[in-house]
Amino acid sequence: MPVISSTHIVIMNLWVYGLLALWTLLGVGLSPLASGYLRLRYRWSTDRIVRHLIWLYGRGWLLLISPFIDFKRDGLGDEEVPDGCVFVINHLSFFDTYFMGALPHSDVTFAVRSWPFKMFWYRFFMRMANYLEVEEQGWQQTTEQGIQILNKGGSVLFFPEGHRSRDGQLQRFYSGAFQLAVASGRPIVPLCISGTGVLLPPGRKSLHPASVRLRILPPVSVESFQHEGGHLQLRKQVKGLMAQTLAEMSSSAESALVKGR
Amino acid sequence: MTEQEVINTINIALAEEFELELDEMQPDVSIYEDLGLDSLDTVDMVIVLEGAFKFKIREEAEVKEIRTLGDIHSFVIKKITAESK
Repeated sequence: MPVISSTHIVIMNLWVYGLLALWTLLGVGLSPLASGYLRLRYRWSTDRIVRHLIWLYGRGWLLLISPFIDFKRDGLGDEEVPDGCVFVINHLSFFDTYFMGALPHSDVTFAVRSWPFKMFWYRFFMRMANYLEVEEQGWQQTTEQGIQILNKGGSVLFFPEGHRSRDGQLQRFYSGAFQLAVASGRPIVPLCISGTGVLLPPGRKSLHPASVRLRILPPVSVESFQHEGGHLQLRKQVKGLMAQTLAEMSSSAESALVKGR
Repeated sequence: MTEQEVINTINIALAEEFELELDEMQPDVSIYEDLGLDSLDTVDMVIVLEGAFKFKIREEAEVKEIRTLGDIHSFVIKKITAESK
């Protein structure tokens, strides 16, 4: 690992947290104006507007961390990512959600456990964006609401592990995302993220420079999983794909590190 | 199928589904506190048991009372016995 001075880390934390606070205040302050514009321009509903604003907030995050974080998105290009799909992504850090600003579509509804809803500064916007609180609703209601979102052309994003990984390894997957994909007939688009566990792993508050990679894998059709228990087989297949991709990403990162020495 | 075969089938099916170690699958363990399952997993647990034993249990109120692995063993054995009569 390259040696990074503590001064560099202090500057990074002051920069990122400082600008993030400013960006948040600016975003909240400008959101009524932006909402009015988006409503007039596109005739979007309030929840659609808020999802777009959250996506823009993520885009701003990518910009403000750029002096310290080497971020790259690869895999599918913008045009290849289908509308109305179910995204699943591995979970390493609190900031994983911020990197979803790199997705090509802004109409993404997050399906999350209850704890993010407990943070008052997020709760208001999450409710406004109609995010799905799976722990509170259960899978059945999550699936019903998810189908409505997908039918309107939006996408739903799940962290199938449910929690951030403490050791960087993929954890057990919950099946909600896969139930929704099978019930709606919409493809699963697996996302693999690496490096955010270096940026800010669970249990640490100070940020650390990192190389973050987000890979968008080809859509997985659910056609051959439309049978009793099919979503469990789909889950297994998608988890296998993600595990294999994350291993490749980790191996590439190690090779790059060795070459850089 | 003997009772022991039923227990083994349950343990193997759940261990595979929830990525558990077979050594952990003791009758007195709590499926929530010890095995780490939660309310979101109970739906999958029912689907796994239905798949393994080819019966329908999702509407049965008794499923909601299950707390330990032993409760699952007893419930399934009772269900299979009742269906074979």
